[in-house]
Amino acid sequence: MRDYLRHPFWQAIAVFVASYVLIKWGIPYIPPLLGFSSAMVPSSVIIQYMLTVGVGILVWVSDNEARWKRFKEPIRNLLVRPERRRARRVFLVLVPLLMAFVTYDAVRPKVTAPAGLRSVHPANPTSITVNGESLVLEGLENPFREEGREEEGYELGLEIYYQNCMPCHGDYLDGQGHYAHGYNPLPLPLRGGGTIAQLTESYVFWRIAKGGPGLPREGAPWNSAMPAWEAFLTPEEMWAVTFFLYQQAGISPRTWDEH
Amino acid sequence: MAGLLVLPNGGPLTAQEADLERGREVYDRWCASCHGVEGDGLGPAAGYMLPRPRDFTRGLYQIRTTAGGEIPTDDDIMRMIDEGMPGTTMPGWQDQLSRRDREAVKDYIKSFYAPFETMAEPEPLDFGRAPRATAERIEEGRIFYDSIECWQCHGDTGRGYGSSGPELEDDRGYPIRAVDLTKNWKFNGGGSVEEIYRRLRTGMDGTPMPAFSDLVDAGFMTDDQLWNLAHFVRSLAPDDRPRVREVIRADKVEPGQVPRTVGDETWEEVEKFFIPLVAQIIILPRWFDPAVDGVWVQALHDGEEIALRLTWHDRSQSPDPAWMQWQERVLEVMEPVEGDPVEPDPRPDRFAVQFPPVIPDGMERPYFLMGNSERPVYLWQWQSDRDGAEPARARGMLDVETLSGSIEADAQWEAGRWQLVLRRNLEPSDSEGRLHFETGTPIPIAFFAWDGDNAEEGPRGSVSSWFFIYLSEDPPPSTYVAPVVAFLLTGGLGLVVVARAQRRERALGGGTTGDPDPAVHPPPHDDHRDDGADGGGDSGPEDDPRPPP
Repeated sequence: MRDYLRHPFWQAIAVFVASYVLIKWGIPYIPPLLGFSSAMVPSSVIIQYMLTVGVGILVWVSDNEARWKRFKEPIRNLLVRPERRRARRVFLVLVPLLMAFVTYDAVRPKVTAPAGLRSVHPANPTSITVNGESLVLEGLENPFREEGREEEGYELGLEIYYQNCMPCHGDYLDGQGHYAHGYNPLPLPLRGGGTIAQLTESYVFWRIAKGGPGLPREGAPWNSAMPAWEAFLTPEEMWAVTFFLYQQAGISPRTWDEH
Repeated sequence: MAGLLVLPNGGPLTAQEADLERGREVYDRWCASCHGVEGDGLGPAAGYMLPRPRDFTRGLYQIRTTAGGEIPTDDDIMRMIDEGMPGTTMPGWQDQLSRRDREAVKDYIKSFYAPFETMAEPEPLDFGRAPRATAERIEEGRIFYDSIECWQCHGDTGRGYGSSGPELEDDRGYPIRAVDLTKNWKFNGGGSVEEIYRRLRTGMDGTPMPAFSDLVDAGFMTDDQLWNLAHFVRSLAPDDRPRVREVIRADKVEPGQVPRTVGDETWEEVEKFFIPLVAQIIILPRWFDPAVDGVWVQALHDGEEIALRLTWHDRSQSPDPAWMQWQERVLEVMEPVEGDPVEPDPRPDRFAVQFPPVIPDGMERPYFLMGNSERPVYLWQWQSDRDGAEPARARGMLDVETLSGSIEADAQWEAGRWQLVLRRNLEPSDSEGRLHFETGTPIPIAFFAWDGDNAEEGPRGSVSSWFFIYLSEDPPPSTYVAPVVAFLLTGGLGLVVVARAQRRERALGGGTTGDPDPAVHPPPHDDHRDDGADGGGDSGPEDDPRPPP
């Protein structure tokens, strides 16, 4: 065993395998044990990392003549030594079989869904008609932002949210309501920096009023389960729920630039 | 508490008061919408949920480690807050709220029920360890299941269709369903064998599920029998929750071999694809209590015809007069009532499969809820009180028009489960509005289900989003040629490498390759040149018996 540990060939193999294990499973699974978040490493990045590791190993084994010779020894032994004849034959069959399998996997017909490119926040129209009234979105403000109306907006919005939005967008506004799993695309989370925090309230109002059917083509309107809430709610109620979303998620809407 | 009483009014809060105040804030913000500001389970969202949110003022908790009728331990309440209750609308809050906030909410929830203050926290029951699952145990459990009449509510296959179904109610008189034991991922208290055993011991207070701990203590049954039962119940569900995949594969069979009936044995070998179904809460009138939560889809084609076998669980073969009272009770408690009030009525079960009228080029499809006025969809509609199925064209859920012709159908309800085979030629009888199925391309597909005895019809039902079905083709010859070529090339290369290495070895004076006797083999040379020199000579591959020149 100790001989193997000291042999550069087996050291190289061990480093290579250990690096793979660390990149493939260590990166996604070790930080969460320590309380940090992490994610799987994409396969293309794994290949890049492993190439780097491979080059590093080659530099190391070849930078010293004696080590380089010892490194090559097991390979040469496998190729020429008579007592390795059986292992040699196994290799000569297994490696081509592996290549055949990889090739088959690459050329066999695959059953995959067509890739769908979907814009999550497509550009909004300049104006919309809600309840017979034409509204220009630019500069449009939430009436519940007016002094003294905040509490009314929150209370009304809360009731609207939990009776209508919660089954999909979730108790915690995280997009994980009890019906969310049935829809594709999944209902959007409403909390966090990448969501409604990037939008003006008039944009959110437009999305609520017109829903999935009111999306432009790049938003894949045929798939969205977001109803056009103008059929269910008054404009006042939609403004209230807009107000509630920002309050409950603890974020602020983007505001119009002062002119 | 004594320290609290001597504080003057308006003085600083004690640590305990401060925690309770924090609990109230968190509760009012995240819990009260369902459970009510007063903890009575009557928040603004409660009417849209069945089972209803817990009423904390009654002190009844389903998931406990304590004996039936006892209050739960603090850990029991924390577990429910942390992990939520599968199969209900209660989510887990472990990753959403801090530990301190969850603890504070737990204490605040306890404050809604005064006995928590005066009663000592009960000791959890000793549940021991699960014995290993064996075929004998599961069989014993099955016999025990029959003898203590679990089937009255859960049905003899466990699919939750027992004869008491229409009458079941919870502690507050709301209709409640016996759980479908074949879907353990929806068990309120968790689906592992240990968790099932605990529910058997402690019961689920507030539901019709009884506790058996007393009967064990009184010697009417043994602990071992309950473990057997738990193992049997666990064995009714699959090892893992079904994985949802976006593409349903329809394999190709020999011409004429597409099965026509639900009972055809061919289906047993065909892969099942699980498609989740959820409430239709988009088109008026909405429905927040769907009875069907998923369908298993199997598909085959032979180049001429395509057949789908659809399997979904349904507690009754509608219309079943026994379930009229269930309809009445469900309609009474479920909001919202949109449009005309709905009356209990003998309604059939229904199912529909949706396709676009033509396979779209890109990703663009009709609106997933039966299209709209601009882009209609093509439907196969089946209902339990008619033979066969009908093709239809829909321009929205409220505008469905039957097309001429028919879809062949074979349906069977048995022991809490519908199975339905729908079959049609790939090429339509009439191309008007009807899909022409092509092989080798993903075709959009979606599903709808209605349980008539749950008052479902029209928009009140279950829906899926768009999925795809892919009719397999015979693979092109290159699929088989390429791997063979790869094998030969790699193998040939390997032989060349070996031959070269051995030739060089011999050229350098080794001369040992092919020698059958390793004893005469000298140690390898560490000082020979390894590269650059093609040693010449005409030696063959490794096993060439010829001596070196």
